[in-house]
Amino acid sequence: MPSIPESRYPVAERPGEITVAPLTLERKKELLYWLKLDRALETQLANLYKQGKVLGGLYRGLGQEAISVGSACALEPGDWYAPVIRNIGSCLVRGVPLRVMFAQYMAKSVPMQGRDNALHFGDISQGMVATISPLGGLVSVMAGVALAFKIRKERKVALTYSGDGQTSTGAWHEGINFAAVQNVPFVLIVENNQYAYSTPVSRQCLVKDLADKAAAYGIPGVVVDGNDVLAMYESTKRAVERARAGFGPTLIEAKTFRRLGHSEHDDARKYVPAELFAEWEKKDPIERFERHVLEEKIVTRAGITEIEKRIDAELAEAQQWAEECPYPQADEPSLMRGIFAEN
Amino acid sequence: MAVMTYLEALRQGLWEEMEKDERVFLLGEDIGVYGGAFKVTAGFTERFGEQRVIDTPIAEAAIVGAAIGSALAGMRPVAEMQFIDFIACAFDQLTNMAAGTRWRWGAGVPMVVRGPSGGGVHGGPFHSQNMEAYFFHTPGLKIVQPATAYDAKGLIKAAIRDEDPVLYFEHKYLYRRIKEDVPEHDYVVPIGKAALRREGGDVSIITYGSMVHVALEAAAQLEAAGVQCEVIDLRTLMPLDEEAILTSVAKTGKVILLHEDRRTGGIGGEIAAIISEKAFEYLDGPIVRVTSLDTPVPYSPPLEAVYMPNVDKLTRAVKQLVAY
Amino acid sequence: MAVDVIMPQMGESIAEGTVTKWLKKIGDAVKRDEPLFEISTDKVDAEIPAPAAGVLAEILVPEGKTVEINTVVARIAAEGTAVASAPAASGASKPAAAPAAAPSPARTAAPARAAGPAPAPSGPAPAAPAAVSGGTLSREDLRRTRSSPVVRKIAAEHGVDIAAIQGTGISGRVTRRDIEAYVGGGRGAAAVAAQAPAVAAAAAAGSVTAAPAKPASSPAPLVFKPGEAVTVVPMTAIRKKIADHMVASKRTSAHVHTYFEIDLSGVAGLRDRHKKAFEASEGIKLTYLPFIAKAAIEAMRKFPIINSTVDGDNIVYKKEVNLGIAVALDWGLIVPVIKKADEKNLIGLARAIADLGERARTKKLVPDDVTGGTFTITNPGGFGGIVGTPIINQPQVAILGVGVVEKRPVVIDDMIAIRTMCTMVLGFDHRTIDGADADRYMALVKDLLQKANFSELGG
Repeated sequence: MPSIPESRYPVAERPGEITVAPLTLERKKELLYWLKLDRALETQLANLYKQGKVLGGLYRGLGQEAISVGSACALEPGDWYAPVIRNIGSCLVRGVPLRVMFAQYMAKSVPMQGRDNALHFGDISQGMVATISPLGGLVSVMAGVALAFKIRKERKVALTYSGDGQTSTGAWHEGINFAAVQNVPFVLIVENNQYAYSTPVSRQCLVKDLADKAAAYGIPGVVVDGNDVLAMYESTKRAVERARAGFGPTLIEAKTFRRLGHSEHDDARKYVPAELFAEWEKKDPIERFERHVLEEKIVTRAGITEIEKRIDAELAEAQQWAEECPYPQADEPSLMRGIFAEN
Repeated sequence: MAVMTYLEALRQGLWEEMEKDERVFLLGEDIGVYGGAFKVTAGFTERFGEQRVIDTPIAEAAIVGAAIGSALAGMRPVAEMQFIDFIACAFDQLTNMAAGTRWRWGAGVPMVVRGPSGGGVHGGPFHSQNMEAYFFHTPGLKIVQPATAYDAKGLIKAAIRDEDPVLYFEHKYLYRRIKEDVPEHDYVVPIGKAALRREGGDVSIITYGSMVHVALEAAAQLEAAGVQCEVIDLRTLMPLDEEAILTSVAKTGKVILLHEDRRTGGIGGEIAAIISEKAFEYLDGPIVRVTSLDTPVPYSPPLEAVYMPNVDKLTRAVKQLVAY
Repeated sequence: MAVDVIMPQMGESIAEGTVTKWLKKIGDAVKRDEPLFEISTDKVDAEIPAPAAGVLAEILVPEGKTVEINTVVARIAAEGTAVASAPAASGASKPAAAPAAAPSPARTAAPARAAGPAPAPSGPAPAAPAAVSGGTLSREDLRRTRSSPVVRKIAAEHGVDIAAIQGTGISGRVTRRDIEAYVGGGRGAAAVAAQAPAVAAAAAAGSVTAAPAKPASSPAPLVFKPGEAVTVVPMTAIRKKIADHMVASKRTSAHVHTYFEIDLSGVAGLRDRHKKAFEASEGIKLTYLPFIAKAAIEAMRKFPIINSTVDGDNIVYKKEVNLGIAVALDWGLIVPVIKKADEKNLIGLARAIADLGERARTKKLVPDDVTGGTFTITNPGGFGGIVGTPIINQPQVAILGVGVVEKRPVVIDDMIAIRTMCTMVLGFDHRTIDGADADRYMALVKDLLQKANFSELGG
């Protein structure tokens, strides 16, 4: 590790001042696995949704997998994270079992007695904080987690994600401002997929690069190709290590595109220009990375097929398990349990 | 034992907990260097350092959010709302983020959000409110309102040690107006237990906060008129000490619910419903509420006097009810 | 100023009465002496006339309720008064001043609840629950009739009718203290005294019978219990009272009966000779009863013990003979009383007997008609019975039962003759009357009747 100056980095920090060690081949193979697992899982969840087994709503991140996977791989085991709705990939990287993923989406008793849906679950022991639907508040919550690390002088980092729409909320602003002025070890990844439900980012704000908002808080703002898993890994790694070293938060803007609707029951083709779909399909993160690992001879085509087979088997097993998993205990006392610690 | 004001007792409680448990830290506006708008935290920075007495930006949502996050990560934050009226800015954090956390995914949020509530100080609409009703309605938040210096110290300790989010609503009118003998050692007032302030057989006055003192004064006057009032100081609003309430109602058969908060949707209505459901057979008269009016808190003193309950209004209500 | 209408005392041992029917409703005009309501007591059912003219302003005791004598059951306001629901009594009502009710008699046959100081409300008194015919009850009515949950609970626990209690709460509502005092007071005067005069001290103005609390009024429907070969009919008020009275009498007196056969041929002859003229001039039939009554009264002059009463350790000799004649009615037994019967001659007795009988049958008796009796004659022979074993009518000490009057063969001067005979029985209280006295008295009665020396009628 290069020596890190004690003073804070200047605002206009760009990648280079903290060197990130290149990923090993093994690690790259893992990246591929996670990427493909993420997509396959979400595809299967979509099937289950159409079969009425996944209930409520399904929010997919088709084409955004590199952001979740790349960033999550940059965290140390002791770091904390809080995924939002399209960050299934981060949960997989961080060790949430497939069985749990299926059961949660199928409203079963695992992992949280079916009390909240989609990715609104967490696990303190795994450093995973559950998000909620009202947007913006999670930023200050994770800043608070980072504050705890700082007070206790622990070398841990808190990371969370934000959509482009969320950056318009007052809570988001308060959160990132608080993190900045308190100089806590916090990283915020703004996933700019260009649409918040039906609202294009041009209607969220006049700023073209959301990373420029970081200047308002006096922290580095970094623009990254969100569909490049290696770039995501590297930029996140840099930001995380910077925070760990005591230099405060970084705002990473990951440029990407939402290739499906807001949710499985929303057809984006009604309000998104058709050409964007074609353009961004070409930039598919998994296809890009597959090309990369094949070119670098990290994996063969047969190897990729192996990975796919393994993924299929794992998904099938997990789905079976989840289908057999019981629904939550449905009676008043069970429902009332857990409001306070005493009950 | 030492004679101290309500504010000093609160301060002492905070101080002792910070000494005792390094996980405890404070965050809020103007609490560090300035010592707090009411000087509750004067001297804390000098003793505990800036790391544990954090001066924040004006950002109630972030203050509470950060408290939630740090509590999730194992700290015991005490977040201050400079005037409890401003807790409205943190409504989402409290009701959606903090309140349901344990119920939703099993994680406790052992934080305290505290601040001066209540009127009678010519503070106007935004420095005088009682905010308990909004949060009383949200499962997962505990709410306490000490009325005495003894309870101010004992309840802040209990709140800090509690595993769940506790809203600690101190009353600014009482800060320097009441002085009591308070033990200087460590003690806790349990959350969820009301206090019987005065025994009487004719009517039960169920109340909390500064109104406890109004009730006691009225009770003394009414005694001369031959009416014996029982005064129950709830101390904790959520969870309510139903047993204390119902026991008193069964004894007197007549009950007045007294709170400084406004009438409609104030917690008096909820308590009345509980009494009606669970102690109907003991009632010898209608359940009566004495509350502030359904308006913003007025600023001008004569208006505020009309707006709020007082000894006179309470006495009249008691006499009417006793005659029923 | 409103005039109180009270529950009268229909008989000296009577402690209470049941209002069976209101003949007027609130707001009706009322003439003085006009029949206002009907009652039932131990002794008698009667129509009670209004004590004053005016407007019936309040009904405090509804139909079917039993209250102590002298209880104010209604109020009559001056003519032309607008009658509305009573406003709430003043807030903290203080304990009542002097008792408005006379204390109930110390010695009663049926144990009555001790009456505490009856409340004398200062302001406009609350109206009693009016009989509601289809209209909705006002708040005031609801307060009075339904009071509050705790009062209803206590009422149910003790089998108490809330409406029987005078309330001190607003609208005349029975408060918890009212009913607690009422229930506590029933156990003895000491309990009443022990009630601390709190804001609203009150005591029961009314009382209930010793029997468990269903005040009987109109005949209850027949109840058939399937599977049993019975039909259950609840007792009417008067039947209950008779039942209580009879048993109480048996417990009180040491009943002995002595039987005398009396030759009424002489009386019969007199009757035959004079009955037509009598009927013509008096308009009533001449029966045997006036003759028997006269003889019984005459004989009492020699044996005043027959016309006495027992009071603790004392024998109280009555100077006047108030003769009760038992009358059997469809709905029960009553005993109207001929006051100062000893001053009446045969014709006077005949008239009185006929009048009382008529008025008893038409329910026109007044309280005075059934009080004050000192001796009773009963007529079991009315249906052909030879003789009976009548129960003494307390607090008297003797009762004369008259069997059937019929021709029988008897022995006179060693010959068999057909005579008009009657067996009579004297039931007497052996506490104060010994057998010898009883027999001597009856011997004199027999003698008087057999001599048939009734000068008023002529020879």
